Amino acid sequence: MNLHYLASVLMGGIAALDATPVAQTMISQPLVTATVLGMVWGDLPTALQVGIVLQILAVSTQPVGAKSGEDYASGGVVGASLALALVSRQPFLLVREASAMAGVLVGIAVAIFGSALTRMLRRLNEGLGRWAESEVRAGREGALGAAQRAGVVLCFGIGVSYSAACLGLSLWGLSRFVDTESLRLAKAWNLAQPLWLGLGLAQMLQSFVQRHLVRGALFGAALIASWIILMVGVR
Amino acid sequence: MPLGSGDLRRVVLRTHLLQATWNYERQQGVGWAWSLQPVIERLYPKGETRTERLAEHTAYFNTQPTLASVALGAAAALEEQRANGEPVDADIMARVKGVLGSALAAIGDRLFWFTLRPFAACVGLIFATRGMWVGALLLWACYNALHLVIRTRGVEWGYRGGPGVLSEGLRAALERLIGRLSVMGSMLVGILTAVLLVPGGEPREVTFQVLLIAGLVLGLLSAARARPTPSQWALGLGVLTVASAWLR
Repeated sequence: MNLHYLASVLMGGIAALDATPVAQTMISQPLVTATVLGMVWGDLPTALQVGIVLQILAVSTQPVGAKSGEDYASGGVVGASLALALVSRQPFLLVREASAMAGVLVGIAVAIFGSALTRMLRRLNEGLGRWAESEVRAGREGALGAAQRAGVVLCFGIGVSYSAACLGLSLWGLSRFVDTESLRLAKAWNLAQPLWLGLGLAQMLQSFVQRHLVRGALFGAALIASWIILMVGVR
Repeated sequence: MPLGSGDLRRVVLRTHLLQATWNYERQQGVGWAWSLQPVIERLYPKGETRTERLAEHTAYFNTQPTLASVALGAAAALEEQRANGEPVDADIMARVKGVLGSALAAIGDRLFWFTLRPFAACVGLIFATRGMWVGALLLWACYNALHLVIRTRGVEWGYRGGPGVLSEGLRAALERLIGRLSVMGSMLVGILTAVLLVPGGEPREVTFQVLLIAGLVLGLLSAARARPTPSQWALGLGVLTVASAWLR
């Protein structure tokens, strides 16, 4: 069990790295981190329930220019890990849905508050930048590499610490609540899940359609055609 | 001394850490200088000029991180001309970096953040909603099929094209790509919506369908305003549903 928590926290660091400083290969996307964590914890269905909702919401966050959007890298890791940890204690359907509700809500909150941490990291990097330039001007060119390494280590450390703190706090605060109120939380999940999915689908549609009527029409045509194929395919 | 393919490969490897020290003051400046370091070391084997060139490159720079490789290639070509005694000074270098940075960001943000990322997410989600782990793999592969290719080849494109790299058909090719991905993406969102409404051929209950459409309409209506953000809407809706579960 402790190894599972360790894997979750390390995943928080890896996701924080992938989100901005290293490679940006989308390992940090909630669907990817949730799937990996689901495999590690041995409960893919719960992880996917949370990962799908957080992924569809994460699409609305655009890291354009100097904007520090919501931190869905940490949100995805904490949300999925929290749900997995809660379900691992009582693997019943109601608890699974209640845990998914708690996981997604906490995941969104972690993502929103994480943007403040991103801003803090960027301020800390300002000092590194100034130091690197002054060192290079003094003839110590290796300072560039040292600053880059420091930036990576700092981001990993912050990612790990933030994920660990959020996971620890939410587990401490929500475990008993989910145990005693799983029926109500499961009801809330059945209401919130489709609303979140619809909200996320709208963001995706907005990204692609961009006021092109033809693309809007293609969306409608693909929706109707897929609907018919899925319905007829059963019969 | 001319630049070899080995020098450009070292730049390519370093582009993966372009944003390691991203900050509000210089943005990608330090990462840019570090990525270009192999080129500077080759062109200026030693001495004060090398230090001066490197320090110069730590200044402000920002663009979309994948397409930054194109700008790095163009800057490498310009540095080569400069080292060969051609009339390229610090001002010209700064101007080229500024113009390329803005132009590449304008295309790159639309291609990677507004189109490819939602497209890859859509592909992954279609499979993940059926409980398949392969959805995550497809999301990752779909994005990186383009991201890693452009990041790897971009330095060479920039080096060959120089400062005018975007006028040689690259811009048109990327714009075409954005258009095609957007068309396919629109259809994919339609397929994903159908898969969510009729998973495995069995339609979801009416409440689910109505709420999903309500969320979709709310999302489209709220998209016109910057605040509240979609995530803030999502958090608000989540809290509201929890509260309603207590009231029912």
